[in-house]
Amino acid sequence: MTDPYTASIRIDAEPAEVFPYLTDAGLIVRWMGDWADLDPTPGGKVALDITGVPIRGEYLVVEPPHRLVFTWGAAGSDSLPPGSTTVEIRLRPDGDGTLLELAHRDLPPEEAPQHDVGWGHFLARLAIAGAGGDPGPDPWAAT
Amino acid sequence: MSTDAVLRALAEPQRRRILTLVRDRELAAGEIAGHFDVTPQAVSQHLRVLKDAGLLRERREGTRRLYAIRPEAIEPVRAYLDDLWPASLRRLKHTVEADKARRP
Repeated sequence: MTDPYTASIRIDAEPAEVFPYLTDAGLIVRWMGDWADLDPTPGGKVALDITGVPIRGEYLVVEPPHRLVFTWGAAGSDSLPPGSTTVEIRLRPDGDGTLLELAHRDLPPEEAPQHDVGWGHFLARLAIAGAGGDPGPDPWAAT
Repeated sequence: MSTDAVLRALAEPQRRRILTLVRDRELAAGEIAGHFDVTPQAVSQHLRVLKDAGLLRERREGTRRLYAIRPEAIEPVRAYLDDLWPASLRRLKHTVEADKARRP
């Protein structure tokens, strides 16, 4: 895979209108994850549960409304421990809207070819997040 | 077997550990349970979820049940995972724009 992983999207709202959706626990869960506890100050915690995966990290850079950097990992994961990867989101004015650019860095590399499923990579990807579809509640989830 | 079932199966940390244990070699249920502090019944439930999701292959040898990974079950989920950030960002866009449209 390529590192960093990048993605971008244009949003019809100004950066100042978009930024809170990245730092407010009540707003972030409307587009990613099902529970969040966020402290958007440098060194403040990022806690976000996504389809049962406990994503944990901390904010490194909080520059509203243009730039946000935070670490990202899964509690209890060997392949992607908390703090092991970094997500940077930039919001640039684009007309009367926003161009959002995301870079996810330090993702674990693919495993050696003899592990044909790239298992560690796969589990890391699982933890990377953002449930594109809702897999529903986990009947056997640990409580 | 469905992508949802696979994702549900993978959402639980102990089940991900089980998959790591049987990634390179076949193991008996008892050997797998030996790696966990939870009851054998709990491990057995996890094995059933993984098997039903198509992630594990089960083979009987006498009274033992042996488990190994089924790597081919992963492929559809990989495609899904590769779309995670883009899908999340699309939801962010729709949420922000819908909220803005609702404001007076």
